[in-house]
Amino acid sequence: MAAVKETVETVGEVEKYKYGFSTEIESEKAPIGLTEDTVRYISAKKNEPEWMLEWRLEAFRRWKNMEEPTWAKVFYPTMDYQNAYYYSAPKQTAGPESLDEVDPKLLETYEKLGIPLEEQKMLAGVAVDAVFDSVSVVTTFKEKLKEAGVIFCPISEAIRDYPDLVKKYLGSVVPVTDNFFATLNSAVFSDGSFVYIPKGVRCPMELSTYFRINEKQTGQFERTLIIAEEGSYVSYLEGCTAPQRDENQLHAAVVELVTMDDAEIKYSTVQNWYPGDENGKGGIYNFVTKRGDCRGKNSKISWTQVETGSAITWKYPSCILRGDNSRGEFYSIAISNTKQQVDSGTKMIHLGKNTSSRIVSKGISAGGSSNTYRGLVSVHKKAENVRNFTQCDSLLIGDKCSAHTVPYIEAKNPTAILEHEATTSKISDEQLFYCMQRGVPEEEAVALIVNGFCRDVLQQLPMEFAVEAQKLVGISLEGSVG
Amino acid sequence: MLEIKNLHVEVGGKEILKGIDLQIGAGEVHAIMGPNGSGKSTLSYVLSGREGYEVTQGSITYKGQDALAMSVDERAAAGIFLAFQYPIEIPGVTTMTFLKTALNAQRKARGEEELDAVKFLKLVREKAKPLNVSDEMLKRPLNVGFSGGEKKRAEILQMSILEPWLAILDETDSGLDIDALKVVSEGVNALRSPERSMLVITHYQRLLDYIVPDKVHVLSRGRIVKTGGKDLALELEKSGYAEYGADEAA
Amino acid sequence: MTDATAQSFIDTFERERASLPGADGWLAARREAAVRELADAGLPHRRLEDWKYTDLRDVLEKAAFTPAPVHQGAVFLSEEDTRNGAALFHAIDRYKIVFVNGRLNRALSDMEDLPEGVVLKPFADVLGEAWTKALIERRFEINWQAQSVSALNMALMADGVALHVEEGVTLDKPVHLIFLAADDGASHMRTLVRLEKQAQATVFETHASAGAAHYFVDLVTEVSLGVGATLNHIKLQDEAEDAVHLATMRAALADEAKLDSFTMIAGGGVSRGQTFVEFEGRAAEAHVNGAYALRGKQHADQFCVVDHAVPECNSHTHFKGVLDDESQGIFQGKVVVRPDAQQTDGRQMTNALLLSRDASINAKPELEIYADDVQCAHGSTIGELDKDALFYLRSRGIDEMTARQLLISAFLDEALDYAPHEEARAELKALVAGWFEAGNLSAEDIL
Repeated sequence: MAAVKETVETVGEVEKYKYGFSTEIESEKAPIGLTEDTVRYISAKKNEPEWMLEWRLEAFRRWKNMEEPTWAKVFYPTMDYQNAYYYSAPKQTAGPESLDEVDPKLLETYEKLGIPLEEQKMLAGVAVDAVFDSVSVVTTFKEKLKEAGVIFCPISEAIRDYPDLVKKYLGSVVPVTDNFFATLNSAVFSDGSFVYIPKGVRCPMELSTYFRINEKQTGQFERTLIIAEEGSYVSYLEGCTAPQRDENQLHAAVVELVTMDDAEIKYSTVQNWYPGDENGKGGIYNFVTKRGDCRGKNSKISWTQVETGSAITWKYPSCILRGDNSRGEFYSIAISNTKQQVDSGTKMIHLGKNTSSRIVSKGISAGGSSNTYRGLVSVHKKAENVRNFTQCDSLLIGDKCSAHTVPYIEAKNPTAILEHEATTSKISDEQLFYCMQRGVPEEEAVALIVNGFCRDVLQQLPMEFAVEAQKLVGISLEGSVG
Repeated sequence: MLEIKNLHVEVGGKEILKGIDLQIGAGEVHAIMGPNGSGKSTLSYVLSGREGYEVTQGSITYKGQDALAMSVDERAAAGIFLAFQYPIEIPGVTTMTFLKTALNAQRKARGEEELDAVKFLKLVREKAKPLNVSDEMLKRPLNVGFSGGEKKRAEILQMSILEPWLAILDETDSGLDIDALKVVSEGVNALRSPERSMLVITHYQRLLDYIVPDKVHVLSRGRIVKTGGKDLALELEKSGYAEYGADEAA
Repeated sequence: MTDATAQSFIDTFERERASLPGADGWLAARREAAVRELADAGLPHRRLEDWKYTDLRDVLEKAAFTPAPVHQGAVFLSEEDTRNGAALFHAIDRYKIVFVNGRLNRALSDMEDLPEGVVLKPFADVLGEAWTKALIERRFEINWQAQSVSALNMALMADGVALHVEEGVTLDKPVHLIFLAADDGASHMRTLVRLEKQAQATVFETHASAGAAHYFVDLVTEVSLGVGATLNHIKLQDEAEDAVHLATMRAALADEAKLDSFTMIAGGGVSRGQTFVEFEGRAAEAHVNGAYALRGKQHADQFCVVDHAVPECNSHTHFKGVLDDESQGIFQGKVVVRPDAQQTDGRQMTNALLLSRDASINAKPELEIYADDVQCAHGSTIGELDKDALFYLRSRGIDEMTARQLLISAFLDEALDYAPHEEARAELKALVAGWFEAGNLSAEDIL
């Protein structure tokens, strides 16, 4: 007890966010505030077809009559949606055709973030789409992917080049009016990634998008749409960072996944938006709607998330298990420190027969943070032989933080077998002493024990990401715990 | 190697050790015997620097340094190793990962180069074999679900990899059957050297048949009440601790 | 905003206020305040998180209950009634206090020869005493949405029991509170239990019909346990199939006090049982357990909050249930560990078996933890009868019906074992065994 307390105190002061720098780059912004004109401005900037503008305007009209949700266990001052920018793009002539045309400053930024964009430097087998503030700046390995028939491009490009696909799927998983933040996103999203894996194709490399908020007072609203046709497979990685700023910035993304028969999407996120300083000043408000639709038989969607950043995280990557025998997975590590607030979890909606799901959530609260798991497992009447296993573990570090578990389990079919377990624990003095007696310094010992606690989830990440995530676990606890 | 002078230790305001004097030279093996509650485990914890054990008087000098001024991990890096009576479970951290983290942390603290994965693996395999520690066991989370014997063997494996200068074995024989005891003792004996000292804490004489001490001390009610050669242990086995003020005979 | 149903209860209050207990004393003001509260908030509805699965407003709107009349003449238990819960615990030597239509029936009660230091009376008779006032006026630190219905009870409570046991006194026999409904209508009742330091008591509670079909039972039980006091409590709810049963128990525990409460739900149309435990002193212990066996269109919602406000307390909640036909079961539980409540041990478990295609279960076991040195866990399982076990039994020559009954009994017995009184436990087990016969499980029921 005493040892932990001391760690909490000593580390409380350090808190370094190594992605906190900002890039001086000339940008082009929409006028401040949000009106129909803003929506038109964004749509025009993107050279969008009329149908897309209409779609956005419809969303905007709906949004004006919606209220911000209050059910999550997060608290923040009222947001002034009129005092923010909804579009910001690094100024450059037309879209870059190759890396040579990209502003070197941008490339430098990604370099600093540890994301090599230059294709020759890339980790083998990872294609990257980089989104800077509101727009996608570069997508690598496009050609190689095209050979396999895979489309991986900014969604703004997809709207122009593949309108039929976009029309068919956009908003089909997360309806325009799904919730306040998703509707806002539908009106003002500026970019994001689009992925289409044709029938029978196993995507030859990991696809990856890095999101970066750079501009002040700017909201980021990206939209990701991934479609896996029959028998296809793709693994998609997403990383996020933002500069250190005193103000709160809104990030309201929407991610939609669709899997057809026998298809699989593995979606991994390492979210490290700026969390604010140790007094809770600044940081990203991360209000994100992520949902996957297992539309086809035997299809599978697996969400893995490592959430270490953001002042507030409001996020429930979910699976609609519509196709018979489909499977949903949710593996989550959510670390909160200082004054961070996390309200995250998942929904597994079992509609089809023999559908199964697995939820493993590891919440770590430190400092003065609050960390909530909120999840729903729902079995509909016609869903025969559903199986779910849920494990929610919370680890508390220090006595100023809190951990909550709010599961909803709803079964309307007697053939379902649903199991839910949750535990709450702390790092024991014995464990710390044992590690330190073997020569491991306290901070490292805490990181080691926490990594052990998260092991089941870390194992789900692709190799390169797992190593990064493991380090991140240590770093995020550094500032506040040790 | 180790010099303890007039050591008084309180736990939660209650005095447990009431003036211990003990000197262990390089290469020596000392045994501390005593009834339950005599302060044996307290001594092992205070030597390794556990919190909550308050030294009110006296000193501990280790290799010429004031050990009391050093933190737990500093002492470990300086070569003090405690084999726990009840090794702690660390879920999710494999034995292998733990060993590597510990060894490299100590090497780093001593300004030595960290071992890479290949060299480390070779080292572990070499040390694990005589202790009957399988690869499978090394992949399991540390001490989680280990049997009593496995836990003790894992402790000795850690000791042989970390190569301490002063090894404190706290009731290492508890919970072991005779075969396991032999394996563990052989592991310990293999580490005996003219530079390495050991402090063997035990309730029973049995262990000392296998790890033969140079000196035996009897600890009772927080004091060393008798010191002798290895024969003292045999004597205790016969007569019990009654004459040293314990309620129960061993 | 006042809803129509709340308004009808308020109208009842206006009509009856002069005749309600305490009309000329301090309680009158409390009732007034409660009526205002009810008028402001209305009855709880589904949009409130705590009432997500039971829309009380909707349920009461359909039935529009006015107070049940004072029952005239003898009370008869039909054959069916006697086979069910109303007949339980009669073989146990006990003190008995019987309410019919929410009014004390002295003729049926047996409250004589109480040991010294024990008070067992209608609460109206002891309104002048400090302890009753303290219990009625008690406010809990956290005001849950679920508690809002206690305003309804406060406004309209017409009768009820007050049990007081003095320091160090152990009540020699259980006290059996029997609540019978002989005529349709609403009964609003209040039970007050105060055990002083080191006192001990066992209380049984039976709720059943004695002829009534459409009725509404509204009961609030206030429990206060002094240092080291122990209360064992067994509640059996076996209401008629169209009855609405709303019961709230709030218990506050001082140092080392122990509450051991068990609820069996065997009957009732719509029922909502709420338990709130607040630890006020260290090293206290609360067990809130229960079992339910539902069929037909029964709807049973158990809601349980244990608030660990102080260190070193233990709580254990475990509900098991089986659901047949179109029944609906709900378990909502919450363990709260507040910042200073270190060394808390809080456990919560719920298991349900669905026996029919149309039955459903909702579970929401929550943890809300603000302290780090705690051990808290919850678990939930939902499933059907183990097919392998069923097959195994049948392979030994046991017919399917019997095999199912055996497995269901075994499942519920694990919960019934928590009932803190040996004889009562045995009677409850027999009742559960009889549940199958009453249900006429047919071959078509078998999946």
